[in-house]
Amino acid sequence: MSEATATIEKLSDEEKQVIRPPLVLNKRTMGWISSYISSIVEDKTPTWWWVSMGITVPLTLLCLACLAYLIATGVGVWGNNHPVGWAWDITNFVFWIGIGHAGTLISAILFLTRQRWRTSINRAAEAMTLFAVVCAGIYPALHVGRVWMAWFLAPVPNANGIWQNFRSPLLWDVFAVSTYFTVSVLFWYTGLIPDLATIRDRCTSKIKKFAYGVMALGWRGGNRQWRHYEKAYLILAGLSTPLVLSVHSVVSFDFATSVIPGWHTTIFPPYFVAGAIFGGFAMVLTIMIPACAIYKPLHDLVTINHVDKMCKIILLTGSIVGYAYLMELFIAWYSGNPFERAAFWYRAFGPYWWAYAAMMFCNVIAPQMFWFKFFRTNLLWVWIIVQFPNMGMWFERFVIIATTLTRDFTPSAWGMFHPSWVDVCTFLGTFGLFTTLFLLFIRFLPMICMFEVKAVLPEADPHHGEAHH
Amino acid sequence: MSEHAPDSPQTFDYKHVGGRFLGLVATAIVAFIAIFAGAASNPTQFAFSYLFAFTFFLTICMGGLFWVLVHHSTDAEWSVVVRRQLENMACLLPVMGVLFIPLIFVAPLLWQWMQPENAQDPLLQEKWPYLTPWFFWGRAAFYFVFFTVAAVWLRANSVLQDTDGAPRYTVFNRRLTFASLPLFAVCLTFAAIDWLMGLDYHWFSTMWGVYIFAGSVLSALCVLVLLITALRGLGYFQNVVTPEHFHIIGKLMLAFTIFWAYIGFGQYMLIWYANIPEETIYFLRRNTESWQILSTALVVGHFFVPFLLLLPNPGKRRPAFLCAVAVWILVMHVLDVYVIVLPALHKAGVVVHWMDFACLAAVGCTVAAVFLKRLGDAPLWPLRDPRLPESIALKN
Repeated sequence: MSEATATIEKLSDEEKQVIRPPLVLNKRTMGWISSYISSIVEDKTPTWWWVSMGITVPLTLLCLACLAYLIATGVGVWGNNHPVGWAWDITNFVFWIGIGHAGTLISAILFLTRQRWRTSINRAAEAMTLFAVVCAGIYPALHVGRVWMAWFLAPVPNANGIWQNFRSPLLWDVFAVSTYFTVSVLFWYTGLIPDLATIRDRCTSKIKKFAYGVMALGWRGGNRQWRHYEKAYLILAGLSTPLVLSVHSVVSFDFATSVIPGWHTTIFPPYFVAGAIFGGFAMVLTIMIPACAIYKPLHDLVTINHVDKMCKIILLTGSIVGYAYLMELFIAWYSGNPFERAAFWYRAFGPYWWAYAAMMFCNVIAPQMFWFKFFRTNLLWVWIIVQFPNMGMWFERFVIIATTLTRDFTPSAWGMFHPSWVDVCTFLGTFGLFTTLFLLFIRFLPMICMFEVKAVLPEADPHHGEAHH
Repeated sequence: MSEHAPDSPQTFDYKHVGGRFLGLVATAIVAFIAIFAGAASNPTQFAFSYLFAFTFFLTICMGGLFWVLVHHSTDAEWSVVVRRQLENMACLLPVMGVLFIPLIFVAPLLWQWMQPENAQDPLLQEKWPYLTPWFFWGRAAFYFVFFTVAAVWLRANSVLQDTDGAPRYTVFNRRLTFASLPLFAVCLTFAAIDWLMGLDYHWFSTMWGVYIFAGSVLSALCVLVLLITALRGLGYFQNVVTPEHFHIIGKLMLAFTIFWAYIGFGQYMLIWYANIPEETIYFLRRNTESWQILSTALVVGHFFVPFLLLLPNPGKRRPAFLCAVAVWILVMHVLDVYVIVLPALHKAGVVVHWMDFACLAAVGCTVAAVFLKRLGDAPLWPLRDPRLPESIALKN
């Protein structure tokens, strides 16, 4: 037992609670970090990876087949119909786009606020952002109907002299999401460059060396390159930060600018952003916990302390979402407007009461388990509990969209939504696409940012080893 | 780390205040006499002017409590050195509870739903029992009891730690904070709904609590900058508070300037876009007649000016510059609260009344006097907080 460990054990419980746990456990060295993270990419493809791809690739193909069927036949193959003209497509779009937010929050906002614990999770979370946005983009692109006309969304001159409706939040969405995706790709790729160069330098095969060499853009790690890199990374972090707020705020405008009771409520923008971060962190944990269980030494980098912090963010954002739900309910009642009141009455007690109950339970009640340290530090429990936000955030969007539309102002026009098999298969397929992309990422790119983790090691501090006063 | 060793006095010496304290008390007394005399002739104007001044200072104190809660709940390092001043600000909340008393006597003039002639309004009847006097006053009492207990208890533990440096106070305050945060959100939101949104009981917005919160936390930061700079000017906080701390506070001021604008824009844009008369009434009143000038000034002054000033790095590290921006933002916060409260009275346009200023002076001088009186009761920063060395040695 080391001297330091012996000293810690002598401390009282309170004293232990004010000690900051190290960000990297087991005194892992810089050399170990490079060789272990690179080995995940360099070693022979493991069996579990092939088995996983064996499941996810067919699901991806299912998604593509459904999309091909839809393009060949028409949007009518979805269950969308009067009065629920927006249904699973927009539900799934918002669900996936929300998931991406945790990645940008971790990589940009936690970078600007100097949260050093972000270093071991930012790469995977950012990758997840991109893959989630890819899944999200499918839905509105296909929902336009004639997908080959989707380019009409771009404000470029066309033969018909048609201009976009710039007053429509749906068009703002196009700009918001495409900007978000572009900046996220740049941010992610910029962060990858030094690590790609590490892999390039370690490669033994010529083809790999060439491929990683091209991707590393000639990185040599000189002083000048690092200065440029750090400036670029800071600028991209600064650009990404407002995007975290703007994208989901604009998504919320799709609903909140309308006059539909249940949609038009002013708290939507921050509430959507909080919900997106909530769902995004749940997804980060959903994929990181199994990844670390497979590559066990990663527990020294993505420690229980990291998981604990992410659980706290889930608890916080879940509670903010709960605050927004209650505020909506309260103001719907306080407004005295019978239509507002009816909208929320139907949500809670109407035909979709089960979706509303599921949303409340998954998003507000289940995360309260994270008040207890035991549930934040037991990986199995964490993984089980974060499935509730994953489900709950889907139900939230379903409740907002489908439940509201089933009961509009004219009772004679009321009707239920019934998903078609294409709806179900496309949604399942997007999970396949998301997981396939993530598996490819794990296999071919360093899933943890090596050089940033090295920078948080105690020996990276220039004053390391100096006597303390 | 010897170069960072604090070498300035740890406790505030009243010699720095001297006659100014008596001046504050005298101003407060004169201002109160004047506004009470004014209330006799124009009680409605007094009610609104007083609510405006009360709200301005209440939001700052609530913001102070919020930052104490954030500090403990996130186990922050950087803010240890400035935490005592935030605690001192938060501990003015009981004083705000006392200063709330004049509003009780003019309540029906402010909150129209209390007027007997409105009792038959079907919309009001729909809001039973929320808008009933017993529930309204009960809620107000609850808010102040909570604010008082949370602020005083957190500060008491912090001061106790100065003597023995036991980490149990840190751990206990952390737990206390976790219990307080949800209640803080509820109290701030419903206080904002009751006292400000309730000025027009027909109007509603789910964003309202968040909007008031945004203004509160930003203005509390500005007051913090001014306090810390003033105390540094008197020779305190030498080698304790450094440009690094100002830099962080400056960054937070920038972040919350943007947050305020984001929330304000979100609320305005959604109401403007949907154009439902029962909601637009709030902004119609504030965007027409001479109120339009103040609303526009708010957009430019509360967002664009501080945003552009706080964006570049160097300014945030210079206390004098940061103080100038803080004063500017606080003036804008006065304007913000003014535009929230007074249009409910002067529907035809801006009418500046001497009681607006007198009420600000009365409440402000009272709060400042109590603050100064208590400033020397405890060390100016938590002397033996376990995270103090890291906080002093902060590097951005």
